[in-house]
Amino acid sequence: MDKLAKQLRADAERIEVTVSDELDRRINASLRAVEPVEQVPRTAKPPFFWLASTLTGVAAAVAVIAIVNWQSPDEQTSATPVNFVAAVPTIDLKAESAMLTGPLQDELDKLQSDLKKAEEKVKRDIGL
Amino acid sequence: MTDESKLIAAAQAGSADAFCGLARLYRERLLRFLLTRCASFADAEDALQDTLIAAFRYIHSYDSRWRFSTWLYRIAIRNAAKLRGPDTVDIGELRDEENDPLQQCIADSETQNLWVSARSTLNDEVFTAMWLRYAEDMSVNDISTTLDRSVSWTKVNLMRGRRALETQMNSVANQSEAYG
Repeated sequence: MDKLAKQLRADAERIEVTVSDELDRRINASLRAVEPVEQVPRTAKPPFFWLASTLTGVAAAVAVIAIVNWQSPDEQTSATPVNFVAAVPTIDLKAESAMLTGPLQDELDKLQSDLKKAEEKVKRDIGL
Repeated sequence: MTDESKLIAAAQAGSADAFCGLARLYRERLLRFLLTRCASFADAEDALQDTLIAAFRYIHSYDSRWRFSTWLYRIAIRNAAKLRGPDTVDIGELRDEENDPLQQCIADSETQNLWVSARSTLNDEVFTAMWLRYAEDMSVNDISTTLDRSVSWTKVNLMRGRRALETQMNSVANQSEAYG
């Protein structure tokens, strides 16, 4: 610990505070009068919900494929179609992407929050 | 399982007694911190009471992956800010020496307390970051979580705060040398 850190620690300890009996009573009384807010348990979805949503998804995909392919031959472009799927190298991601991107997302959120705060401060400073 | 985690578990099960025990572990530290953020001693006491009530009320939302103190300080900072309102000026500008609760808690005989000069030198958030780092021994990650700031912001501002206070400390040392 360097000199400044030691000094700051010592100075913080020199700030004498005591919680008075009156404040102690007040806090205890108010804590006993408070009921913790119950966390609403997540209700489990019925099994047919997942089946229904899967079927809806499959039906939507089939509909999109049918619409895309239901074109007359003269509307089709003559250019040689490029197989993008084959062109793009496949990356075999074993790790869960959420685990990899989670900290970055947190950092991004915080940076955005910094930016917002700075923006508000500037607005406040210029009296907007 | 530590005593603290036992108390937290009991409080989450609804025990007010357990939470009172938990509050006893933190209230002096919180009050000392709130004194630096509030305009009067009474305000700091009110903020402490509100903080503990809010913490107990929402104890179910506490996630054990965080340190309990980090969660508690987050609530305390919000409560202190609520007491002051969104449009008030920096707290250092509000106080005169007679009514400053921080000055009142430091004995007259003592030399200049660095935290008093820190408050006039640093802005609220940098002051809080410095307090959490050096008075509460919190890690940079915990400070950034408490202040809802990025880790980079926290590191940069801790560095700036340190520089400002080092200058302050050296000038006080030079003054006392000059006066013998």
